[in-house]
Amino acid sequence: MAKILLIEDDGETAEEITAELGDRGFEVEWSSNGIDGLDKARSLRPDAMIVDRLLPGMDGLTVIEALRKEQVRTPVLVLSALGAVDDRVRGLRMGGDDYLTKPFAVVELIARIEALLRRPVDSRETTLRVGPIELDLIERTAMRGDRKIDLLPREFRLLEYMMRRSDQLLTRAMLLEEVWNYKFVPATNLVDVHMGRLRHKVDGPGEPPMIHNVRGAGFILRSLS
Amino acid sequence: MLDVQFIRSNTFRWASAVAAVLAVFVIALFGFIYWKIDDYLIARSDRMVLSQVDFIAALPPERRIVAIEDHLGQDSRNVQFAGLFDPAGTRLAGNLARAPDQLRIDAPAQSVQATRTRADLGDPLIRAIGRHLSNGDILVIGRNVDETSEISHVVGEALALGLLPAFCLCLFAGAWLSLRAQKRVDEVNQHVQRIIAGNLCERLPHRNVDEPFSRLAGIVNGMLDEMEAMIHALSGVGNDIAHDLRTPLTRARLALERGRTNAGTLEQLQQVADKAIAGIDQALAIITALLRLAEIENSRRSAAFGSVPLHEMLSEVCDVYEPIAEDKQIKLSVQSADKLDVRGDRDLLFEAIANLVDNAIKFTPAGGHVEIALARGEGETVVRVSDTGPGIGQQETDAVLRRFYRSDKIRSTPGVGLGLNLVSAIVKLHDFRLLIYSGPGGRVEIVCPDDRRS
Repeated sequence: MAKILLIEDDGETAEEITAELGDRGFEVEWSSNGIDGLDKARSLRPDAMIVDRLLPGMDGLTVIEALRKEQVRTPVLVLSALGAVDDRVRGLRMGGDDYLTKPFAVVELIARIEALLRRPVDSRETTLRVGPIELDLIERTAMRGDRKIDLLPREFRLLEYMMRRSDQLLTRAMLLEEVWNYKFVPATNLVDVHMGRLRHKVDGPGEPPMIHNVRGAGFILRSLS
Repeated sequence: MLDVQFIRSNTFRWASAVAAVLAVFVIALFGFIYWKIDDYLIARSDRMVLSQVDFIAALPPERRIVAIEDHLGQDSRNVQFAGLFDPAGTRLAGNLARAPDQLRIDAPAQSVQATRTRADLGDPLIRAIGRHLSNGDILVIGRNVDETSEISHVVGEALALGLLPAFCLCLFAGAWLSLRAQKRVDEVNQHVQRIIAGNLCERLPHRNVDEPFSRLAGIVNGMLDEMEAMIHALSGVGNDIAHDLRTPLTRARLALERGRTNAGTLEQLQQVADKAIAGIDQALAIITALLRLAEIENSRRSAAFGSVPLHEMLSEVCDVYEPIAEDKQIKLSVQSADKLDVRGDRDLLFEAIANLVDNAIKFTPAGGHVEIALARGEGETVVRVSDTGPGIGQQETDAVLRRFYRSDKIRSTPGVGLGLNLVSAIVKLHDFRLLIYSGPGGRVEIVCPDDRRS
């Protein structure tokens, strides 16, 4: 039962977020201003935080900066109506781990919180294994069981990203930001097309599908328990 | 009110200041000349007095009195003074009643007050030399130097005659220049008032002369050109935004209203909600895109500028869009002449080129071909995206850059119509050029002039 601290000054938004997170089994603590939020962060030690940028008392980024100075490594998702690239860069530089602009789809928020909570450990392993899929990070080759998967460099990166976050919902926005490093939203459904290619290669005929499209939300790599 | 403005104007003040400085200088100059002349005349007089003293002192005693009387006799202007006194101070000859009181004997010439024998002629100030003679007598020879005061009169007159007109001339010149400048400013002001009142096409008149006012007028006109373009763009945007935001929002509202009355099942209501969310999302996409455009247009993000290897970037774009092109059975190829670099923001340039390729693929029918090319021109690097689609009509090449413009040919395809605006904004930020050619076949070029600094 992960504990989430939400620092958000708009009551209605906070209610909605709390309800959604609650539905998915999270325990949510809410603070409506920066100073109180900072206090709660120190005393409650949440597993993750959602911090609105524009707050009364002390603004969100200052709260995060203060926590980072105290060596508090809690993952933070910054929420903001300020969506310019520079704003995003600033938010991440000040200590945020992820940045989401308002308005956002709830699915996006949930997916990102879960990603923050289950941040993959940067291991020294040279191979990644999820179910029957094995990735050799040095040779840049991929195998499913005995079958070699022929991947283009970008497809390899995409699969690697998904394998490090197996069984987590990955939204299109997350993939665009992390795999393609886009700071903009391209007009076409880039992600879908590339994901389609990857699925075709990874999930061969007769093999149980591992890459799934979650309608309206994103994609997920299931490890087939 | 004109007078007050005129006197307070800087030009007039400057002219007055110059006139004052000139006056002070001229007065100083004349003063100096006077002093020098005075000095000279006195020195000359002293020499004459000295030579006279030497002459008479050298004479044998019995000839001295005659010499003195001769000397004084020749003096028609009454400027010569002489006196021969015995050791007791009694006058032996000359027109001095007695030796002047402060006169130091056997010293250089000094200014002393003379006491004449004829009291009615006054006791002027003289330059005199006194000498002890061989037989104990005292010889005093002097000269009236009052004539230097005449010189000062002459000099003063000259000064007045010359200085006054010069001073007045200076003031008049200042006044005229000031009025002239004032007139120019008034003229400009009239034009500016008309522009403010809304007549954006007005420009300041300027003869193509290389003088400050003309140059300033030229600069202001340039500024007005820019402003006019911006205001037109903005007013366009206001209208565009209104229309293109209202459409999806209206759709959302209609769907919700209908759903509210008509939806019977949960499923139907969910469908209604989906439609509404879609409409709202589209409106938000437009707002985000417009904000993005504003951010790029208003930022001078040259801090993020670096050397961008275009060759690699085009390969990347090709990699990314290759599957999409393949899905539509379009051939996507890259042709690079060389490994060429330009100076710019890597992310923005990628976005711009990606946008162009995206468009090209979108508007090319199945079986077509999209080519990305990198070439060198004269002093410039060119990125070209061309396709075998219908292209843009001749009349539309300018219109395409209007916000939200969507040609009739492509009205059925998804999109907001801001893609080219974004490319245009990015290109402008880099001081590059965007060239849009008319069809058949799409062809868009980004021309990057060589960085003059490198």
